[in-house]
Amino acid sequence: MADADPFDSALDLLRRLNPKHTSDHLNALITLAPDLAEDLLSSVDQPLTVKRCKQSGRDYLLCDYNRDGDSYRSPWSNQFDPPLDEGGAGGVGAGGSEGAGEGAIPGERVRKMEIKANEAFDIYRELYYEGGVSSVYFWNLDDGFAGVVLLKKSAPQGGSSQGVWDSIHVFEASERGRTTTYRLTSTVILSLSSSNNTLGEMDLSGNMTRQIEQELPVETDESHIANIGRLVEDMELKMRNLLQEVYFGKAKDVVGDLRTIGSLSEGQRDRETHRGIIGSMASR
Amino acid sequence: MSKAILSSFVEGAPPGELADVITDIKALTISTPNAVNELGPAFQKYNEEQFVTVKLPGSSQQVIISSHSSLGDGRYYDVESSSSFAFDHTTQKASAVQSHVVEGSQADLVKSTLKSLSTYVKEHFPNAAYGVYPIEDDSKIAILIVSNKYSPNNFWNGRWRSLYIFDPSSSALEGSVKVDVHYYEDGNVRLLTNKPVTATVSSATGAGIVREIAAAERKYQEELNRGFTNLSEGAFKGLRRQLPVTRQKIEWDKVASYRLGQDIGGGSSRR
Repeated sequence: MADADPFDSALDLLRRLNPKHTSDHLNALITLAPDLAEDLLSSVDQPLTVKRCKQSGRDYLLCDYNRDGDSYRSPWSNQFDPPLDEGGAGGVGAGGSEGAGEGAIPGERVRKMEIKANEAFDIYRELYYEGGVSSVYFWNLDDGFAGVVLLKKSAPQGGSSQGVWDSIHVFEASERGRTTTYRLTSTVILSLSSSNNTLGEMDLSGNMTRQIEQELPVETDESHIANIGRLVEDMELKMRNLLQEVYFGKAKDVVGDLRTIGSLSEGQRDRETHRGIIGSMASR
Repeated sequence: MSKAILSSFVEGAPPGELADVITDIKALTISTPNAVNELGPAFQKYNEEQFVTVKLPGSSQQVIISSHSSLGDGRYYDVESSSSFAFDHTTQKASAVQSHVVEGSQADLVKSTLKSLSTYVKEHFPNAAYGVYPIEDDSKIAILIVSNKYSPNNFWNGRWRSLYIFDPSSSALEGSVKVDVHYYEDGNVRLLTNKPVTATVSSATGAGIVREIAAAERKYQEELNRGFTNLSEGAFKGLRRQLPVTRQKIEWDKVASYRLGQDIGGGSSRR
């Protein structure tokens, strides 16, 4: 048997260990295999951090795509905090275009789209999340541009249950004349927990990732925002349904497979019927 | 440093996935092939805490590995089959089976509890192992149930663990139920629960103890099912709506003309 690639093994491990502590496992893996650090940090999604923009007073989200060293760029002001040294700024150099993660500042046209996208997803956030924080970051590519749409919402503190939702939608837009191909990779990190005397502690946490590719007509730069908006909106609807199915359907069913509330001898016939239904659903 | 990290990976292995975790660890420590061999203590901790089950040579019955059934020196025992055996924590294989008969002041209570527990487990756990052992110098008994269901082809695995300590001098029953479910198709979702149980057993017989356990576990499972509903209807719904208040998707071509809190009748919490 061929030796497994250490990077693939690290990803496999992260897919198995408790997703509530992915950041800790990631740090442990980097200590173990420092040469995997860069690849792991750019491919493993972690819960988003919120920061307040000093210029606009508005909150924005931090990720690898608006980071330059220890500084992060606010989508509202386009300024880095803490400010970058003069001449140390990243951005679109003469030849460089794929500068994400190195403090890439989008070119003028792409920044204009980025501003519009932030306005649009701010409305999207209010309509779907009724709170929370959103941020959109764009950067230039050789044949188009790319970006990330981030959304975060935490359940109000104080109740007996807690919840945090993080959406991370990374896309590449390859422009070809009147059409553009969008490749979207979406991850939702959802942590839920509940604790009280009768229930004890219950933690239901994890992440799910889905990808989609679509070629869509583009007339103006405004159509890019609309196309990306629809793609993200459809994807989030799909993923919300999927999360609902896995968190509250599948996980609950497995508990019922481990222990049955009803008596097994009495429920034999019922269970076989049930298995038949599950079987026919799985084979659809 | 790396031994502590690797041990934490072993301890965090989901139900039925220890072998996969070890495969990953081996690939990550290819330059230090001895790393896995030094993880014996971590494997022992995992096996004992997770109530790993093993079939004794020549038997189809699953027996439990736990600190409560440990004889020391890598040997464990099972009351129902009256046997002790050596257990290899790395390969999870049993060998060198010998006869082992439980004696002492709790022997009768252990046997009667085991008998009632066997009936209860068969009625409510499709695939479980169980055990009852005298502990703490014959002053108490430990009661264990572990139920596993592995479905790696469908990317999910689950485990239910019950542990109770019964003190005959006070008739107190104390323990906990832990449920661990892992789903990992295009993602990684984990359910982890811990429910402490305390009860007083009115009739300190095997049947009385198991009746109390059965009632507590039934109540807990019903509560856990309500927990799923409450999280779904509460925290989950509160995080993200399925559709905006208008029950319509966004008209992205007109999104620039949307004014928050006015045209769309949604929330008005814009900061």
